[in-house]
Amino acid sequence: MLSENELKILEFLKSVKKSNSDEIAKRTGLETNSVLSLLELLASKGYVRIERINVEQYELTEEGKKRKEEGLPEDILINILKGKEKSLDEIKELLRDDYNIAISWARRKGLIKIEQGKVIPKFNEYRSKEFEALISLENADKETLALLERRGLIIRKQRAILQVELIREPQANDIGITYLTHELLVTGDWTKYKFRKYNVRAFPPFYPLAKKHYFKEFLEKVKDVMISLGFKEVNTNYIEMEFYNFDLLFQPQDHPAREIHDSFSVEGKGKLTDKELLENVKRIHEQSWNYTWSQEISLRLMLRSQATATTARVLASRPKAPLKSFTIGKVFRPDSIDATHLIEFHQLDGLIIDDNFTFRDLLGVLKEIFYRLNIKEVKFKPAYFPFTEPSVEVYGYLGKLGWVEMCGAGLLRPEILEAVNIKSRAGAWGMGLERIAMHFLNINDIRLLYSNNIEYIREMKESE
Amino acid sequence: MVTIVLNKYKLLNPLKISESELEELLFNLKSEMKPLDENSVEIEINADRLDLLHSAGIIRAIKGLLNIEVGESKYKVVKTDYKLIVNDVKSRPYALGAIVYGLENLDLQELIQFQEKLHSTIGRKRKKVAIGIHNLDKIDSKEILYKYVSLNHKFVPLNYSEEMSVKDVIIKTEQGKLYGEISILDERSPAIIQNDGQILSLPPIINSEKTKLTEKTKNLFIDVTGTSFDAVAQTLDLIVTNLAEAGGTIGIVETKIGENVISSPLLIHNLVQTNKDYISNILGFNTEICPQIMRMRMNCEDDGKVIKVLTPPYRIDVKKEIDLVEDVAMGIGYNNLGIPKYSATSYGEYDELSLLERKIRDLSIGANFTEVFNFVLIKDSKLLENDYVKIVNPISVEYNAIRNSLLPVLLDFLSRNQHARFPVRVFEIGDVVIRSNDTDVGYTNDKRIGYAIMDSRVSFEELQSPLHYILKTLGIEPIYEEVTDNIFMEGRVAQIKHMNKVIGILGEVNPLVLNKFKIEYPVVLGEVYLRRLKY
Repeated sequence: MLSENELKILEFLKSVKKSNSDEIAKRTGLETNSVLSLLELLASKGYVRIERINVEQYELTEEGKKRKEEGLPEDILINILKGKEKSLDEIKELLRDDYNIAISWARRKGLIKIEQGKVIPKFNEYRSKEFEALISLENADKETLALLERRGLIIRKQRAILQVELIREPQANDIGITYLTHELLVTGDWTKYKFRKYNVRAFPPFYPLAKKHYFKEFLEKVKDVMISLGFKEVNTNYIEMEFYNFDLLFQPQDHPAREIHDSFSVEGKGKLTDKELLENVKRIHEQSWNYTWSQEISLRLMLRSQATATTARVLASRPKAPLKSFTIGKVFRPDSIDATHLIEFHQLDGLIIDDNFTFRDLLGVLKEIFYRLNIKEVKFKPAYFPFTEPSVEVYGYLGKLGWVEMCGAGLLRPEILEAVNIKSRAGAWGMGLERIAMHFLNINDIRLLYSNNIEYIREMKESE
Repeated sequence: MVTIVLNKYKLLNPLKISESELEELLFNLKSEMKPLDENSVEIEINADRLDLLHSAGIIRAIKGLLNIEVGESKYKVVKTDYKLIVNDVKSRPYALGAIVYGLENLDLQELIQFQEKLHSTIGRKRKKVAIGIHNLDKIDSKEILYKYVSLNHKFVPLNYSEEMSVKDVIIKTEQGKLYGEISILDERSPAIIQNDGQILSLPPIINSEKTKLTEKTKNLFIDVTGTSFDAVAQTLDLIVTNLAEAGGTIGIVETKIGENVISSPLLIHNLVQTNKDYISNILGFNTEICPQIMRMRMNCEDDGKVIKVLTPPYRIDVKKEIDLVEDVAMGIGYNNLGIPKYSATSYGEYDELSLLERKIRDLSIGANFTEVFNFVLIKDSKLLENDYVKIVNPISVEYNAIRNSLLPVLLDFLSRNQHARFPVRVFEIGDVVIRSNDTDVGYTNDKRIGYAIMDSRVSFEELQSPLHYILKTLGIEPIYEEVTDNIFMEGRVAQIKHMNKVIGILGEVNPLVLNKFKIEYPVVLGEVYLRRLKY
């Protein structure tokens, strides 16, 4: 099997039969060094016979290179004198460092006479044999080369070259080429060649494979489950009035969850134009909890602390039954950030309004949602939330984690339905999604759901 | 959720049940039990069932579920000649007193825990309600007063050996530091005192050493003070009924508030009426109501039409008809209701923007960008535009603002990934928050998609090209216009326009900005505003 470069060399040798590495390099355009190693390879494959010979070679020294550029000092001397005599001092001024060399070689070669401190040239112009030799070393005679060497203008070096003789011509099926090209296909030449084998067992270089984000994909899957169950998606803003986050959901204004360390506040006040709704909420709070309800407090802005704020907005729009809606959204709560806590996370919140909706129906919906999320076993625990009655917490069985609390739910309290003039019954629920995602993604540090390390994201495996 | 710690044998022995049965029964009473060590368990109680904050209350409830005792638990109540005279205390106007006689083997630790848990729940950290529990036998007068005392008034506070002025109690004691300021008004503090002026307690701060409880204490005087009469009365009812359940006898204290005389504790009973259909229709489950209500330790009468429930003083959470529904369901057991199979009879509907988001995510993957998912909260100094929402009460400087663009989020991400294998090609789709006059809160979420490429060499076109074809596939014909923007390099940034609207921006990042994020490689960055593509 032959590579393209090996083939190039053999093609050249076919015409000349004998050559050497220097000539091959020159004719094929390959680097001398690669020609040497390619020839070794070809010899080992039996295509050529090689013989290593050392050749002598002259190279210019630093001074030699200078003289080749400028001329030899004695040549310069004759050429500036132009047949006229000049004093030694004048010449010293003109030639400076080269003065001694120029005078001594010009005298030795009999080019000048020196009389009474004056130089008298014997020729009008002069070009020495050594200079000719410097310009083309290969054409210089031995004597001149020896002279140049003595003058320190050239240096003798030994170098190995390979003498090559072709002993076997390449056959069509010897040839291995790397790329199948358009040209090979259209000329049909591909039939002449063999394609080089790769080391297919070697691992490939890095490939930056684009991927969807694992946690985002989980959230999308939850969305699909809700859609498949016939729910309509709704979304509202992160910045919310306390009215929708708390008041409409029947949380009294002195409820512990409304304290400053339990939600993030934002400067400014919201606007509520629905006078009837405001009055209803005020009346219901004051009747039920026996305190003076403050509209100012309810207009304060915050980062929503529960996705139920979105459900509250849906309720405030006084929808007609039957209605099934859901939201998957970010909520924010001050907390320490560690392996199990974040200050922003996702909740799924759902709402069903239907005339004959029952508590058992609600349990059925919840069970079905969890089943479709691949949590097949659930149990229900009585619970307490300000806005639902009866209330329930759903526990799901998560293999090695055992029973885990996952969702709070219940039928909306009559007080809330009254405030928004809904005559039907309504069920609602909210669940955190991070913990369930961690289970299915096999992640045990919640922060990894939002990893800012691209290598972690790249290495993430597809979940089942 | 409130957590209490109990010796498990206090529950297991009288009820004669196993630990796992106890756990199951507590689960059905909204509570979760976890073992702590050989003898003690930790029980999480739901905030509405304050009657379960004491072992006596738990035993009472479980006896009902096990049909050992049903209906309201009846307690011995006797009259006494103790009086509590409530003066005009503006900063903390309500006070009620009660006596409990004849307690055996008082579990002081549990009593203090009960008191503290009531303080933190219904008491709103003693602001709304505070409780003082005294050794009755150490009180010298039958007449007890609730009134302001001056800050110079002296007494020995609980667990101290020397007299201190009220002022010093507030400054020097731990309780004083925590609760001292709550009810002080005009240099005076509310106090429960004997008629000779000796302080028994300083609500809501501390009791006196004089009436300190010991394991041998048998008779208690209890004062409850606060800013809400209902909460004060309910708290006292909860305490005395649980101590009575544990074997005590309730003693009535005559409480005088102005002209009114109240027998306290009030032992409030509310009549709640309902009917069988109301409950069955809501539950979707047909059953006899009264037997279940009785198992939940309430009395119940059913005349065939109307069901009358007289709620006992320990069930302050049951106020209305709807509240009975849950108790009936709990009586039956949520997991015994028989769950119907739910089947969808309507079609679901995605939010329009969600569908666009999915399409553009798919196309971005096709353009070989990896999706990243970062926090919405960010450090304000990382933001590149000045108009943003600041959090008033952040818990960390790293997260004190809400992102107003995805560009700084992506730059921050890149700065952390300079040692990753190159090229780094990422995108993020998500909400930022910007000012808006169209919403009732003055701000709106704005869904955006941001793209970034970091490599040893990048170019404007390297991002423009994929972005262009993503947009074209979405049916948009983008136009690019030269613009000046400090985030990007002069002459290497373009606004992306569609139908005369700016729908995004892209360009090579200005080295000054790269320096700010400590990024040592060139970056090309872009952002598209999704809402403007469709609306």
